[in-house]
Amino acid sequence: MTQHWTGRCITGFVSMAWLGLAATTGPAIAQGTLRIAMTASDVPTTTGVPNNGFEGVRFMGFTGFDALVMWDLSKADKAADIVPGLAESWRQDAKDRKKWVFKLRRNVRFHDGTPFDASAAIWNLDRTFKQDSKQFDAQGSAINRGRPAYIAGNGYRKIDDSTIEFTTVRPISYFPYVLTTIFFVSPTAFEKAGNWAEFAKAPVGTGPFKVANFKPRISVDLLKNPDYWDKNRIPKLDKVVLFPMPEANTRLAALRSGQVDWIEVPPPDSIDGLKKAGYAVSINSYPHVWPWVLNQAKPGSPFRDVKVRQALNYCVDRAGLVTLLNGTAEPSVGFFKKTDPRFGKPVNEYKFDPALAKKLLAEAGYGSGKPAKAKIMISTSGSGQMLPLPMNEFLQQSMKQCGFDITFEVVEWGTMLVAFRAEPTAPQAVNSDAINISLVSSDVSMVVRWFFSENSTPKGSNWGHWKNPKFDELLLKMESATSQQEANQHLTKMHETLVDEAPWLWIVHDGNPRAMTKTVQGFVSAQAWFVDLTRVSLP
Amino acid sequence: MWYFIARRVLYAIPILLGVSLMVFLLLKLVPGDAADIMIPPEAPREVAAMIRARFGLDQPVHIQYLRWLQSMATGNFGTSIFTNQPVASELFSALSNTFMIAIPAVILGFSCGVLLGTLAALNNGTWLDKLFSSVAIAGVSLPHYWVGMVLVAIFAVVHNVLPGQGMGPEGFPASWEQIKHLVLPVVTLSLIPMGVISRLVRANVLEILSMEFVSALSAKGLRTRQVLLHIMKNATPSALALMGLQFGYLLGGSILVETVFNWPGSGSLLNLAIFRRDIPVLSAIILVLATIFVVINILVDVLQALIDPRIRR
Amino acid sequence: MLTEAEVIKRAAAGKSYWVRVRERLLVDRLTLSVTLLLAMIVIMVLAAPVFATHDPTISSVMARLKSPGYEGHWLGTDEVGRDLWSRILYGGRYSLLCGVMPVFFALLIGGSLGLAAGYSGGTINSIIMRSMDILYAFPSILLAVAICGMLGSGIGNTILALTVTFIPPIVRISETVTTQVRSLEFVEAARASGARPLSIVRFHILNNVLGPILVYATSLISISIILAAGLSFLGLGVTPPDAEWGLMLNNLRQAIWVNPLVAALPGAMIFITSMCFNLMSDGLRSAMDVRM
Repeated sequence: MTQHWTGRCITGFVSMAWLGLAATTGPAIAQGTLRIAMTASDVPTTTGVPNNGFEGVRFMGFTGFDALVMWDLSKADKAADIVPGLAESWRQDAKDRKKWVFKLRRNVRFHDGTPFDASAAIWNLDRTFKQDSKQFDAQGSAINRGRPAYIAGNGYRKIDDSTIEFTTVRPISYFPYVLTTIFFVSPTAFEKAGNWAEFAKAPVGTGPFKVANFKPRISVDLLKNPDYWDKNRIPKLDKVVLFPMPEANTRLAALRSGQVDWIEVPPPDSIDGLKKAGYAVSINSYPHVWPWVLNQAKPGSPFRDVKVRQALNYCVDRAGLVTLLNGTAEPSVGFFKKTDPRFGKPVNEYKFDPALAKKLLAEAGYGSGKPAKAKIMISTSGSGQMLPLPMNEFLQQSMKQCGFDITFEVVEWGTMLVAFRAEPTAPQAVNSDAINISLVSSDVSMVVRWFFSENSTPKGSNWGHWKNPKFDELLLKMESATSQQEANQHLTKMHETLVDEAPWLWIVHDGNPRAMTKTVQGFVSAQAWFVDLTRVSLP
Repeated sequence: MWYFIARRVLYAIPILLGVSLMVFLLLKLVPGDAADIMIPPEAPREVAAMIRARFGLDQPVHIQYLRWLQSMATGNFGTSIFTNQPVASELFSALSNTFMIAIPAVILGFSCGVLLGTLAALNNGTWLDKLFSSVAIAGVSLPHYWVGMVLVAIFAVVHNVLPGQGMGPEGFPASWEQIKHLVLPVVTLSLIPMGVISRLVRANVLEILSMEFVSALSAKGLRTRQVLLHIMKNATPSALALMGLQFGYLLGGSILVETVFNWPGSGSLLNLAIFRRDIPVLSAIILVLATIFVVINILVDVLQALIDPRIRR
Repeated sequence: MLTEAEVIKRAAAGKSYWVRVRERLLVDRLTLSVTLLLAMIVIMVLAAPVFATHDPTISSVMARLKSPGYEGHWLGTDEVGRDLWSRILYGGRYSLLCGVMPVFFALLIGGSLGLAAGYSGGTINSIIMRSMDILYAFPSILLAVAICGMLGSGIGNTILALTVTFIPPIVRISETVTTQVRSLEFVEAARASGARPLSIVRFHILNNVLGPILVYATSLISISIILAAGLSFLGLGVTPPDAEWGLMLNNLRQAIWVNPLVAALPGAMIFITSMCFNLMSDGLRSAMDVRM
């Protein structure tokens, strides 16, 4: 450490001598090295349980590791769905619908050459679900189980070397979706490392890339894995370097000065300039909602009345907001997008209609002398939060016309997370009538996570404590459906209820803009939270 | 002298204890502990309890303080709640990154400051004095994070001659690439010490110039250079002391500049730790920075006492 | 610091010292013009509703980030299309508030603590000064950031954090000056003649101590403005929808590529105001003949 430290100091001194001189030569980069600036403030954990939300999974999940079930990220024109990953196939037991059998892919090897088989899979599940196993990883477990798994206690076992069986807490028709964020690492490598902090320095998975050179807060390398089991997905690149850059302006400067080839989420106002300067900007339709989650539990909250919730939804100038964001988002009038077959045919088609909003507010007992007052908790920044300050200020102004008197409780992202995990009446919520927090809408499991009344906080993530018996009934039917078709029918009806009952204020779906140099080839902007880096190449 | 040093060092112990108590109490003001922010509600209670127990969050406050103090005193700063990595290694690599810009910045600021201040004083009242004095006063009045932004826009984006973010490749010996990454943050960071030191030096030199012995020296027919040398000898100690303090301020204050330049130093680590309530990292970094500041203060005192024995009380 | 002779001279001179200070200030053109500029800024900012051309909160999506001179917005518009001139006026209220209030509070608290410590000496002095040493162990920005980071953002917390940051140096200065003055003969004489402590403080000590502290405090305002804006810049300071220069800078910096001029304006305002306070402090210092 000391030597290293002295070295750096000397570097500093030497730089003094050169200060004032500036050379124009750019850094030499090995061919086939793609440098990406993420929005995360740190390198996501490299242990196979990535933190930093779904961006962490995007860059530190599906790159170095594989899940049993994965996302098909090869198409840009339709919403991504799941495909077999480390499991070749799966089926729900026709008699006991709580049982699922997964056939594992044969001949898959970890980067250290050890085989991936049922024993390795069980060992990995123990890491998350078995508290007395030596590989139990409390932090990792919290993250993995935070994305609900519905696996019953001791709910998994090895049947033979290439078959495992899961038991869920209740029939869960969408169970395979739940498994897409549980990744598998080499047990042998963990034994060698001794603990997860050591393992993080040289992680070993089965993914198309090998994770190397982990430097906390600075960067991490993904090296091509030429022996990847899916020959179609052997990376074209030799290396990907990931940089955490939480500041949008820093990312932009890094791209424009040639320090990186690809940035996530450039500032919306920079997009025209980037296009003019010859950068490729992709705006993607992906399952993400930027809502206000409305508080139904706080006494005195105007949002306990469905009429007020609907009025609110009629009082958002979504088109104006999209203009503000330079087209980097699309209007949201429900949990799913309007083009999604599961959107259904709700009674309310929300648009900006102050007259109707006023009428609904009047019916709820608010009028010119009595505005509907509400305090919204907003964050200064945060994962997926887009531009919370200007966007909310815009909403505040647009709602004034309808008779809403909106004030804000501005907090840091961390404080918001704490509040979102507590009850809506808890002191952490500081008397807020809603929280503006961006949430994932990637699949059915998320509908259950955010809206099922049994998942009310602090047990689950239904912060607003919205409860609708009809919705809950449909939900249970959907979970026990025996066919995809039947499940989708129920889901469509559930979604119609969501739109009409409006537990959230539907505002926009983020377009997750990214900008890259024209030399980046083969990037497919899949309609998902994730991207397939194996297809990308550089000349 | 030794007695003075010993007293000064011993006195640092209660100060540091007070500092640690203050840091700890500040951290206890945080609504919700680190476990709240990290553990999703879906995670079972046992897992949450395990994590709390692991970080000692289930203990009474005074036990938490004593344990924390013990771990700080032994240099084992615990484990980061988020990255699960030892805090010590993260902290020291972050600190060394900050030293990497703070040391050149304070040297640059000191040299420019002494130069500007002396020149201004020697040309007292002329337009040169006004020019240099305004540069100095601008140095202390500029919001340096704003200057950083403007520098990045000009040098990194429009002209693309210097990198505007990050610290480039690692390792030693220093490569040209590394040095280029240093330029903008160092220049930005050097503004404040430059301003502060140049103002002090100007005032000191003016004072010395007005003293009788200087006129006497000139009258004795000594050449300007010798007079100058004499002035420098008298003006340097206080400037050096100020430089030490400024270095301490830079360490604590680099947070803004590091944010602008995405420099992975102690400031950005602090920002990150605040943002995600990573209490072990947060407490360690505040305490270590404060300790360094206390040590610098002692060094400065001792140095001053060495130069000017009257200070030893 | 003060020599005994000087203090006695001043004390003897009584009113005429302040008369001379005024005379000196009146011929210092730089300080005068800076003070005038500052007064203008303060008046404009306080009377923001009079001078503002638009409602500072009304945005327009169609008129975002326009350059100065755009359709009735003579300074242009910000990232959501609000009038920048009006925003700067209203924003100045918070920026100046965050500049002045912490110094004011620190002056009240720190000044009294310092006086108390210096006047009483002994144990009280030790207790006060040793606790200040603890606060002194934090570099100023670190202390402000730590307090704001813990308590959360907001204008109240910003002012609180900066007040705590500024108290120790003010205590130190007032304690030193008070101790010096206290030991002077005329104060001793007053004590011996049985004057009540408070009246001694008021008549003799305050008179001599106020000058240096005030000079120091004006220079602190400049630092306070920069620090408060810096806290907002980190997302730890003033919260929206309040306009504040640091926060405006934070929001507008995303636009530095689209309209650099507009993005640079709030930063320039911070710079100009803090420079004014610094220059004024310099002027006061030489007029009052205070050496720090």
